[in-house]
Amino acid sequence: MSQASGEVAVVGVTKRFGETTAVKDLSLTIPHGSYCCLLGPSGCGKTTILRMIAGHEKPTSGDIRIGGQSVLGLPQVQRGTAMMFQSYALFPHRSVLDNVAFALKMRGASTADRHAKARELLTKVQLEKFADRLPTQLSGGQQQRVALARALITNPRVLLLDEPLSALDEYLRLRMRGELRRVQKELGITFVHVTHTQLEAIAVADTVVVMAHGHIEQAASARDIFVTPRNAYVARFVGGQNVLTGSVESVMNGVAAVAGKNGARYAIPVGGRHPRRGSPLWGSIRRDRIVIEKMAPGAKPTVGLNAVVGEVHTLENQGSYVKVTLDLADSEEFVAHVLDETFFAGSLDIGERVVARWSASDVKLLEDGPIAEEAAPAGAAMATAG
Amino acid sequence: MAIVNPAADAFAASGRAEPEVVEYPGERASWLQVAPLVLVLLLFFGLPMLVVLAVSFFDFSRTEIIPAFILDNYIDLFRSEVTLRLYASSLKFALIVWVVTLVLGFNIAYFLVFHVRGLLFQIGLFLLCTVPFLTSNIIRMISWIPFLGRNGIFNQALQGAGITSQPLEFLLFSDFAVIVAYVHLFTLFMVVPIFNSMARIDKSLLEAARDAGAGRFRVVAEVVWPLSRTGIALGSIFVVTLVMGDSFVVRTMSGGQSASVVSALQNEVAALQYPPAAASAVIMVIIVTLMVAAILRIVDVRRELAG
Repeated sequence: MSQASGEVAVVGVTKRFGETTAVKDLSLTIPHGSYCCLLGPSGCGKTTILRMIAGHEKPTSGDIRIGGQSVLGLPQVQRGTAMMFQSYALFPHRSVLDNVAFALKMRGASTADRHAKARELLTKVQLEKFADRLPTQLSGGQQQRVALARALITNPRVLLLDEPLSALDEYLRLRMRGELRRVQKELGITFVHVTHTQLEAIAVADTVVVMAHGHIEQAASARDIFVTPRNAYVARFVGGQNVLTGSVESVMNGVAAVAGKNGARYAIPVGGRHPRRGSPLWGSIRRDRIVIEKMAPGAKPTVGLNAVVGEVHTLENQGSYVKVTLDLADSEEFVAHVLDETFFAGSLDIGERVVARWSASDVKLLEDGPIAEEAAPAGAAMATAG
Repeated sequence: MAIVNPAADAFAASGRAEPEVVEYPGERASWLQVAPLVLVLLLFFGLPMLVVLAVSFFDFSRTEIIPAFILDNYIDLFRSEVTLRLYASSLKFALIVWVVTLVLGFNIAYFLVFHVRGLLFQIGLFLLCTVPFLTSNIIRMISWIPFLGRNGIFNQALQGAGITSQPLEFLLFSDFAVIVAYVHLFTLFMVVPIFNSMARIDKSLLEAARDAGAGRFRVVAEVVWPLSRTGIALGSIFVVTLVMGDSFVVRTMSGGQSASVVSALQNEVAALQYPPAAASAVIMVIIVTLMVAAILRIVDVRRELAG
């Protein structure tokens, strides 16, 4: 089983619970041996997908394939999957050793065999000393490692992790996520990890799948999700970006000049496209690519391209940088991450008026809504007809 | 067990690894808290038991009870073959009823907890189980008579359907009838504590077991059953003590053919033979206490309730 491919394919899967649709015609392929994070707010369907891969839920329609073969209707054992539950689901009436050995007991292994194998795994997670304890006698982090050992004892080709770190405190969470990543690399099997924490997903995953309302908003490498979000939802949810909106004023050399709500004007690169004048356009700018300048009291807001004026709303020291949140009067919150050295060299305070500037080359186009094109014949005809 | 602070006890029972410092309100406060219950128990349970114990050593004649210290009442009790037969009969009923109510109770609770979706539906069905309790025990039991009787509904139905040609005689006024009535009366006492235990089982434990390759029955045997032990033990205590302490059901449903320890005791009381009745009661209390102790020996209810 362990040699078999752990490629997981979700093919056009829809899952309804009565009236509500949890997952809507979703397709996703997770390559063998990769670490994939399903990221989204609660209720977005990410756990439902995991449970369908595990066989704890049946899709209403569509197919689930592991290693190229449909696993619909197959019992959990034949799928070659193992699941780590959010609450760890350790059997409270069994010792740590028996918990880890449980799957082998179900497969009819002798007591000596299964205990030997279980001890081996407990050694791997550095818990061999606790073999005879009950799960409740362990700390949260130790319980989590027991759960990991128990899931791995059957040599699964796919490990499914349902919010595995959410019950841990911050310190352990950071340590365990590194541990998970290390174990995944070492075993070379597929990990599918559900989380609602953006940084956790970006920290561990090869591929991050951002979900909302039962569908995928973007599936890409952790770096791409962070640097080039596909749309405003991903940009806002993953964080690290400010979303710029406005209507197109002119397009020149693949860059659109956009007028925002509060009189600010931005340049958004549009590549080869030609959005129509007056049509709405979305872009994103990274929070750490923004320069904050204090305005002299009473100075007129002489704001050029790629800048906004606002009042400092909150300041949060994050250690290596300071998170400066600006109040732009009528648009959404605008955040700049200012390097600690830069910030503490100045004297910015809450309530001060500032200009936030950035370079046009750091702005990325977001795909929100159809971009109404001008010169492109087919698109334009369709748009005007509509 | 020595004086135990409840907080400290719950803490010890849960067996956490990292001990925390707990501020105790002081022993005196704990004593004050349990004082009302202790008083009630001493006055209405301890004292009468002492009286019964004392009377069990008294002598008696046809007309009076003579304070004394003799062991004759106990010697007679142990010499009498009737005693043995009555205990054998009561224990037999207790065992059969325990097995039947356990099987029923476990399955009903399992169904309610793991198969019924939706809390509202679950509570609704649970309340449905208690509907028979809206009438008194006696009425519920007596209503079996027209059902199981020689010309009762059940016999008529069997004959009408052509399954039997003659009415079945064993249905009423028999051990069978006694067991039916017991099961009917006491199953709920098994369902409630088991339901309570099962409802506290984390559903993901079942999924984890299934993930590990356990089939339906293995899941029950390896996870649900062991984690329902507290409820099973409590339900068993209820059922066993209720059956052992019964006289009315046995007498009514067996048509006077069977008797229980308690019904013999009642006869003695009716004949004003208090000392032998008291001796019989003392032995009964000891035996039932031993049975409960045996159950608690197997399942540490206190520990599991705390954990």
